[in-house]
Amino acid sequence: MGREAILKSIKQNKPALLPLHEINLEAFSEEVNLLDTFKSNVELVGGTIQELKKNENLTTEINKRYPKAKKIVGNSQTSDIGTIPISKETEPHQLENIDLAIIKGEFGVAENGAIWISEQDFPIRVLPFITNDLVIVLEKENLCLHLHDAYKKIAGRERSFGLFISGPSKTADIEQCLVIGAQGAMSLTVVLI
Amino acid sequence: MSHSEKAAVFNKNEAKVNWHDKALWYVREKRDNAAHGVKGWEYLRELASGIKANVLSNLDDYLIEFEANALANGIKVHWASSAEEHNQIVSKILEDKKAKKVVKSKSMLTEECHLNPYLENKGIEVVDTDLGEYIVQIAKESPSHIVLPAIHKTKEEVDELFQEHLGTTPSNGNPEYLTNEARKHLRKKFLQADAAITGVNFAIAETGGIVVCTNEGNADMGSHSAPVHIACMGIEKIIPKEEHLGIFLRLLARSATGQPITTYSSHFNKPTEGREMHIVIVDNGRTEQLSREDFRASLHCIRCGACMNTCPIYRRSGGHSYDATIPGPIGSILSPGKDLTKHSSLPFASTLCGSCSNVCPVKINIHEQLYSWRQIITKDVKQPLVKKTILKIAGVVLSNRTLYNIGGKSARFMLKYAPRFMVYSKLNAWGKARELPEVKNQNFDDWYKEKRKNNG
Repeated sequence: MGREAILKSIKQNKPALLPLHEINLEAFSEEVNLLDTFKSNVELVGGTIQELKKNENLTTEINKRYPKAKKIVGNSQTSDIGTIPISKETEPHQLENIDLAIIKGEFGVAENGAIWISEQDFPIRVLPFITNDLVIVLEKENLCLHLHDAYKKIAGRERSFGLFISGPSKTADIEQCLVIGAQGAMSLTVVLI
Repeated sequence: MSHSEKAAVFNKNEAKVNWHDKALWYVREKRDNAAHGVKGWEYLRELASGIKANVLSNLDDYLIEFEANALANGIKVHWASSAEEHNQIVSKILEDKKAKKVVKSKSMLTEECHLNPYLENKGIEVVDTDLGEYIVQIAKESPSHIVLPAIHKTKEEVDELFQEHLGTTPSNGNPEYLTNEARKHLRKKFLQADAAITGVNFAIAETGGIVVCTNEGNADMGSHSAPVHIACMGIEKIIPKEEHLGIFLRLLARSATGQPITTYSSHFNKPTEGREMHIVIVDNGRTEQLSREDFRASLHCIRCGACMNTCPIYRRSGGHSYDATIPGPIGSILSPGKDLTKHSSLPFASTLCGSCSNVCPVKINIHEQLYSWRQIITKDVKQPLVKKTILKIAGVVLSNRTLYNIGGKSARFMLKYAPRFMVYSKLNAWGKARELPEVKNQNFDDWYKEKRKNNG
C-alpha cells in the first residue's frame, strides 16, 4: 500500500545527504565514584538500596524487607526464595497476584540509577512489571558511568527484549503530585552484592 | 475559534490559570536542574540535532534498513500514507485476530489519526492506560499536553470522574487513592486485553528494534500481557544506530520532566515466542513537511514537551486553546503544515522570546519557524481588517521619525493622565489582568542625550 508512495515522496523531498558524526566520548568523561553516584541516583528515582554485608544471607534479608510476601518468583541464579515456579509457558494472568519477584540485574548505570535487565534474566516478559514489588540483585562491580558506556556493554547481546529500569513505576498525572506505584511494580529494592 | 479566543475561555478561571502556569514552570526548573548536572549537555544537544538532520537526509534508506532488520526478527511491518490507512491497517490486524478489547499506551500518533473513535465505531473497546490519558479519555477530552495529558484537570475534577466511572468513594482528590484505584481497574484491562497498541519513541535502523519509554509501566503491562502488540510510529522516529540511544535517552526524560531517565526504557527486538508483533510506519503529511526547507527541522522533535513547559503563552493559555493534537510551540510549527487555514492563528500564539528553541533537546529553531509561518500566513490567509489596519498604521509610524516621536509622547501622556477607565478599557489588551508600568517623562532617546550632555 503506502510503502512505495512514502519512499518515493521521501526521495523527492529529502535534502542533500548530511554527515553522521562520531560521538566524542571524551566530552562526557568524569571522575566520579560510580558506586556512590549510582546509589544516590537509585534513591533519587524512588528506589531503595540495600547493600548486602559479607555475613548476611540474601534470602533472609529479602524476607526481612518484604515479610508479608507469600507468592514469590525467585531466580535460581540468586537465591532459593521462590515459592512460585514459572517457565516460558506461564501465562501472564497466572502472575496476576504475585507479591514479589527477584531478578538478577546485568549492570547498573551511575548517571541515572538505571539497571539493564533482559529476557535472559526472567523467563516471562511481563514479570518485572506485573509483580507487586520488585527486587533486583546486582553485583556492585557491575557499574558503568553513563548510557554511552551502557550501550557498548549491550552491543553484543542477543536482541530479543530488554530494558533499563530506573526505580519503581510512578506517575504525577493528578495535579503533578508524585505517586509511587502506577501500573508497574509498587517498589524497587536494589540489593547490591 | 482562534487561539486567542480559546485562551480567553481558559483564562476565565484565574486561579486555575495561575496554578497551570506555576506547575509547568516548576517542571521547566526541574529540567534546568537535570540538564545542568550533565557534563557535555550542550554537546549532547548538538549531537542529537546532527543525527536527526542526517536521518532526514537519508530517511528512505534508513526506513528500508529498519524494515529489513525488523522482518528478519519476526516483526510484521506495515506502511500507511495517511491517518485513514493507518486506522485501516490497525483495524485489519485486530479483525484477523478477532480482537475486541484493546489496551493502548501513550501514542500521540494514534491521537493524530483519531484511532480510538475509528475502532470504537467498529465495536472495539479501547482503553487508554497512561493515567493522564485515561483521565482525559473518561472525561471525553483530548490530551492538553503531550507528556502531562491531564495537566488541565484539578484533582477534585479527577475525583468526580473516578466516582462516576470507577465507583470510587469521594476523597477530596487524594492522588494516592485515585492512582491506586486506577491501577486496580487498569490491571484487569491489561489481563483481559486481546491486543495492545503502543507508540514508539525510537526505531533503530541498524537493529530493526524499537524503544518505548514510560514511567508508569503501562506500555509493558499491555504489550507483554496481550497476544498481539501493535506499535505505531511516524517515519521520523528512525535513528541510525543503537549507540545513538545513549544520546537521546540522556536528553529525553531530563528535558521532559527533569528525571535522569524514565522508569522503563524498553527495547523490543523480537516478538515473544508464539505471539505477534506489528509495526505500522506512518507518513500522514510528514514527507510534505520534509519538502519545506524552512520547516523540515520540526521533524527532529522527540516529543519531550520542554517547549510547552517553558512557553509563557502555553502556560497561560492551556493546551486545548491550540485545538491541535500537538499543542504549544512545536505544535504551532507542525500544525500549519497540515491545515494552514484551520491553524493560522497558532504561529501568532507566541512572544517569539525564543525560550522554546533554547530548551529544545534536538535544537529545533522553533521561534524562527514561528516567524516564518507568520510570513506565509499573512500572505496566504485572509487577515482580520482590524489587524491589517493596525499593522498598516504601525508600518507608517515606525518608518517615520516624527510620527514615531509624536506617537510615543501621546502614549506616555495618556498612560500618565488619562483616567483609569480609559487606560484599562477593552481597547487596550495590555491592560488586561495586569498593571501597566509607571511612566517617566522622557523617552529613551531624550534620556540618553541628556546623559551624554551631563557627562560631557
